[in-house]
Amino acid sequence: MISINKIKLSIKNWINTKFLQKNRLISGLNGFGIYLAAVIVALIINSSFIAWAGGNIISSYETMIQVSLGSAAGLGQTLNKCTPLLLAGIAVAVGNRGRVSNIGSDGQIYMGAIFATGTGLLLVPLNMPIYVLSPLVLLASIIGGAFWCGIPGVLKARFGTSELFTTIMLLFMANFITDYFASGPWRAPEVPDSISRPIATSGFLPKFFGGAHVGIIIAIVVAIAIYFLIEKSVLGYKIRTMGDNPDAAKLAGINIPLYQFGLLALSGAIAGLAGGIEIAGLDHRLMTGLSPSYGLMAVLVASLGKNKPIGVIISAFLFAILMVGSDSLQRSINLPSSAVMVFQAVVYLSILLARTIREQ
Amino acid sequence: MSNDISRIKYSEGILREENPRVLMQSINKRFGEVQALDNASLSLEKGEVHALLGENGAGKTTLMNILSGLYVADSGEVAIDGRKVDIHRPKDAADHGIGMVHQHFELISNFTALENIILAAEGGRLVIDMDSKHKELEELMPRFGLHVDLDANVRDLSVGVQQKVEIIKALYRGVSILILDEPTTMLTPQEADSLFSVISSFTKQGLTVILITHKIKEVLKVSNRITVMRHGKCVRTVRTSEASEKLLVEIMMGEKSSYKGFSISEKPKTNKIKSETMLLVEGLTIGEPKQPSLVENVSLKVQNGEIVGLVGVCGNGQMEVAEAIYGVRKPNMGKIAICSKEITGGSVIESLRAGAFLIPEDRIHQGILPNLSLSETLILGPHNFLFKHSLMLNFKRIYELGRQAIEDYQIKAPNERADTCLLSGGNIQKLIIARAFLFSSITDLNLLIAFNPTNGLDVMSAQFVHDRLLEIGSSGAGVLLISEDLDESMLLCNRIYVFFKGRVVGELAHADFDPYVMGAMMTGGEPND
Repeated sequence: MISINKIKLSIKNWINTKFLQKNRLISGLNGFGIYLAAVIVALIINSSFIAWAGGNIISSYETMIQVSLGSAAGLGQTLNKCTPLLLAGIAVAVGNRGRVSNIGSDGQIYMGAIFATGTGLLLVPLNMPIYVLSPLVLLASIIGGAFWCGIPGVLKARFGTSELFTTIMLLFMANFITDYFASGPWRAPEVPDSISRPIATSGFLPKFFGGAHVGIIIAIVVAIAIYFLIEKSVLGYKIRTMGDNPDAAKLAGINIPLYQFGLLALSGAIAGLAGGIEIAGLDHRLMTGLSPSYGLMAVLVASLGKNKPIGVIISAFLFAILMVGSDSLQRSINLPSSAVMVFQAVVYLSILLARTIREQ
Repeated sequence: MSNDISRIKYSEGILREENPRVLMQSINKRFGEVQALDNASLSLEKGEVHALLGENGAGKTTLMNILSGLYVADSGEVAIDGRKVDIHRPKDAADHGIGMVHQHFELISNFTALENIILAAEGGRLVIDMDSKHKELEELMPRFGLHVDLDANVRDLSVGVQQKVEIIKALYRGVSILILDEPTTMLTPQEADSLFSVISSFTKQGLTVILITHKIKEVLKVSNRITVMRHGKCVRTVRTSEASEKLLVEIMMGEKSSYKGFSISEKPKTNKIKSETMLLVEGLTIGEPKQPSLVENVSLKVQNGEIVGLVGVCGNGQMEVAEAIYGVRKPNMGKIAICSKEITGGSVIESLRAGAFLIPEDRIHQGILPNLSLSETLILGPHNFLFKHSLMLNFKRIYELGRQAIEDYQIKAPNERADTCLLSGGNIQKLIIARAFLFSSITDLNLLIAFNPTNGLDVMSAQFVHDRLLEIGSSGAGVLLISEDLDESMLLCNRIYVFFKGRVVGELAHADFDPYVMGAMMTGGEPND
C-alpha cells in the first residue's frame, strides 16, 4: 500500500510541476470535464491500436457499444461479466476500508467455485427443488471463500503476516486444487480438458433477461448491504476507524486483530460468492481458467470506485462494458488478445490520472 | 524608550547594528495557503547569544531553516559579514560556517560518538585515521568547555550528552554560527544549566549562537538579545538586560492579550467529602524476557480530585506504567485497579469500561481519524458507550455532538462534517479534550491519563488545556499527567512521582516541588546533590 501511495504521490508531483503550474487549461478543468478529457485521451490512444490492426476506427467503437449494450443478449452478457467484477470489487473494497488488502481474491473465487461445484455434484441424487439447492450452492461458495481468506486472516491476526503474500500464495494453491478436482475426481468423462461434470440443474441460477442470470441482482443487493454496513453501522464505523488510523482505533478499545480476521473472512466470503455465482449461473462446471483474473481486475474496480460500494457498482459496470466490447474487437478486426489488455489498461490509466489531477 | 527605537528600525526594514555577523532582510516564505514568514528581518552580532522567541508556528524554525539552507526563501536577502550570500542547500550554509542542531537529533544510535561526529565532515573519504581524529577532538572539546566519552555508543548516552555530541559535530565542521532549535525540551534542569554554561563559553570564542525557544525563563537566563516573532514577522528585538517576562509575553501575544500569566491562581482543592482511590498500582513490573525490566516494582495511587504527575527523562518507565494502566501493555507482575475494580492485564476496552480515558501522546498518529469527519473523531472511544446497544450509527446525534464541541471549545472548523485532517494542531487538541469531556458526560470518568497534553500548543491553547484538566480534576476524577515539561507538571500536579530506570525514586507533595531536586532524582543522583 505504501509503495502505491508513493507512486501516486510522485505522479502527483510530476503532474504538478509539468502541467498544473504552467498550464492553466488542465487545472481549470474540474469535475466531469477532467473525466471527459481522460476518456477522449484514452479513445485517441486506443484508436491507434485499431488503426494498427487495420480496422475502421469509428465502426470499431460502434461495434463495441453495439455488442456490449446494443441488444438484450449483449446487455445480458455484459451484466454476467459485471457480476463477478462487482462482487470481487466489493470484496477488495470492503477490505481496503479497514486497511486489509485482499489482492488474491481470485483464490477465493476458485475456492467458492470448488465448494459450489462440490455441493452441486454431491446433492444430485437428492433431487432437491431449485429454490433449495441453488441457495445451498451459493451458501457453500460463501463458506468456501470465507474459509480461504480466513486463513490469511488468522495468520495476520495471530502473527502479523502480510495478507498481500498469503492471499496471493493461496491463490496459487486454489488454482492447483481446482485443477485437481476438475481433472481428477469430478472430471467429466466425455471431454478431454480438465472440466468437471455439471452440477445438478436445480442448482442453476434462473435467467431473467437476455441470458443474464439473477447473479447481478444478488451482487447489487450485496453491494447495497455492504454500503449500509460500512457507512452506517457501528461495526462499519469501527472498520473505517481501523482503516483510517489503526493506532487511534487500538487506543479506543477496538480489538484490531479480531477485526482484521473478521474483515478478511468477510472479504473472502463475498469473493467466494462470485465464484459460486459463476458456477451456478454461467459455467455449471468447475474448470481451470474459470476466472480470467477477475480478482486482479477487482483491485482496479475497487480503486476506481474509491472503495465505496456505490462507486464500485459503477466502475464494475464500466469495466464489464469495456471487457465485452474490447473482446468483440478480437473477432471483428482481429485485434490480438494481448492488445485488448493494453486497450483496457489505457482506459484505466487515463481515468486514474484524471482523478489524481482532480484531487490536487 | 530604547525598545521604541528598535521598533522603528524594523519598521523601516533597515538594520543599523554595527558589524552585523548575519543580516537577514525581508525574508518571505509561503507554504501553500500559509504565509510562514512575512517580511522577517533579523540581525545577529558576532559573539552574542540571540534568542528567537515566539509561539509555535510563529516562524522561528522556518526562518532558521532558511538560514541553514533546508528551505529556500521566496524572497529576501541574507548577508554574512556585510556580503550578500546565496544559500540554496545545507552545504552552502555549512560553507559559511552555519550549523543547526535540530530538536530531534540526527545521530546514528549504534555508532560511537566519535563516528557520529566525524561522519558529516569526513563521510566522503575512503580511509579515516580514527586515532588522529580522536586526538584532534580531545583537544577541541575542552576549548569549548565540553566533554563526552568519544568511544561510547550513542544509544548508551543520555539525551543531554547526545545533544552535546550534536553540538561537537557542528563545531568540528568549523561552525561559527550555531543554531539550537528548542534545545532544552528533553533536558533536566541540571542538563539545561550545563548546556547554558557551554553556550556562554562559545560566545567567548567568538561564536554566534541562536537559540530557538518558546520558554521565556530560559531566554532571560542565557541570551544577550531577544527577537520576538509573531505570525511570521520579527516583531521586535530587545536587549535581554532591558526585557522582563511581562514585556516579552506582551510582545509575543500581541497588545490585546488576555493572557493571565503562568501561575494558576487557584489550586484544585481536594475537598470531596469522601476520599476515594481512583487508581491503585501495586508492585508493577513490565519487561521482555532476558532483558532489563522497563518498569520494576512500581506502586502508586491517585485519589479522586487529584492530579498526579509521573515525571522522568523520556524512556525511564513512566510511559510504560501509563500504557499498562490503559491496557495497551501487558504487565509481568503486579496489580492495577481503577476505582477498586481490578483490571490487571486487561485490554483497552476493559480499562475504558472501568472509567479510564486517554489523551494520547501523539495527537495526529494516535488521536484522530484524519479522513473521517471531526464529529466521528470526536466520538472515537466514547462510541463504546454511545452506541452500546445499537447496530446502526445515529448520525444526527453524532453531528449534534460535533456541533456542540465546536461551539463549546471554540474549535476552528468549517463545520461538524469537515475532515479532521483540516484542523490545526491546537484545534485537534481541543477536539481531543472535548472527547474526554464527552466521555465523562456519558459514562463515569474515573481516571484521565494525559500524555504531554500541551505539547506544541501556543500559550493560549495550553492555558485552555490546563484549565480543562483542573476542571476534570475538581469534578472528582483522578488525573494522571505524564509531561515532558517539568514546569507544567509542577504547575498542575498535587503530587509527583519521579521515575528513574523503571523505578519510582521519589514521591513529592506539592509543597516540596523543586525543579533541581527532581532533576537530580531523574538522573539518578541524590536529592541533595
